[in-house]
Amino acid sequence: MINHIVFVIIFLLGFYAILVKKNLIKMVIGLNIMEGAIFYWFISITDKGDKIPIVNGPYSSALVNDPIPQALILTGIVIGASTSAFLLTLIIELNKFTDSIDPDNLGRMIKD
Amino acid sequence: MSKAKHIFVVIVLSLLGITMVINLNKIPGNTDQINFIYSHITNNAVLETGSLNFVTAILYDYRAYDSLGESTIIFGAVSGIVLLLSRKTLPVSSHGLSFIVKRTFGMLTPFIFLFSLYIISHGHLSPGGGFQGGVILGAISIIFSIVYGSEFDFKRYSPTTKTLLETGGALLFIGLGLAGIIFGGYFLENLRFLNTEIGSLLSAGSIPLINTVIGFKIGAGLAIIFYSMIQKTFKEEDKL
Repeated sequence: MINHIVFVIIFLLGFYAILVKKNLIKMVIGLNIMEGAIFYWFISITDKGDKIPIVNGPYSSALVNDPIPQALILTGIVIGASTSAFLLTLIIELNKFTDSIDPDNLGRMIKD
Repeated sequence: MSKAKHIFVVIVLSLLGITMVINLNKIPGNTDQINFIYSHITNNAVLETGSLNFVTAILYDYRAYDSLGESTIIFGAVSGIVLLLSRKTLPVSSHGLSFIVKRTFGMLTPFIFLFSLYIISHGHLSPGGGFQGGVILGAISIIFSIVYGSEFDFKRYSPTTKTLLETGGALLFIGLGLAGIIFGGYFLENLRFLNTEIGSLLSAGSIPLINTVIGFKIGAGLAIIFYSMIQKTFKEEDKL
């Protein structure tokens, strides 16, 4: 229960940043906060409170946490890093052409 | 944004939050299928793959195909970034920090490199692996750019070398997959030629090889991303 509440609070903080902020870089930061919230939630709801999923040998005790969500989240982190790098690159290019990183100015420019 | 709009956004988001909490509580916990896969992996993964780290066993043996897709995404992101921020013009964006910082990092950088190699090569025995070690490897290029200046980075670790490492890593990964077809039976099958005792460095078949390939690929990819970005964020007249 507490996992869900903390996840929803962090997730909505990121969503709020995307909706309200007038700076594209801050919106990318909001997207990253949302990603972080999802990673936290996924790991926390699958946590069994056992040992880390690394064992000493083939026949040692197998009472470990579930490794599958951890592998999935590792994939998610890498993809999140590359997408935010690409978004920041697009913002750099946009700034070079329009001298502004305000999404409202961007809409005005397209109208003109 | 006006104040009324702001309050409206906050109200909508709080309502969304309440419904999310209510619905998330209805998610089922451990089903039989999850428990079946969990018990299969924890009981058999060490004998089947030779890797003591279950996460590495999943990432580079059971679902190595997913890791291939993941590294393809990184490759695509790097290609897009290089396409947008083309490296034709090379303004010198920084000239480095002071003498003391340069000497300190001169002593530290070899150990950072060694640490990244350790993380990459021990991926099947301890926490770590190709992606994590590769990020540390990419940090070395950032140290070169910031501490010694981007000209040093350009000379010592040139974009050609980075591109070679990046594309070579991707090609070697696919090559390991094809070797699985030739020697075993299916794509990215674990090749069984590094099979000393479980728990030693040269065990777990092709997992250490895939780790090494991915590590260098990710390190070079992050170095290319940083290099492309830092070259363009400084204008020509800002040159010292």
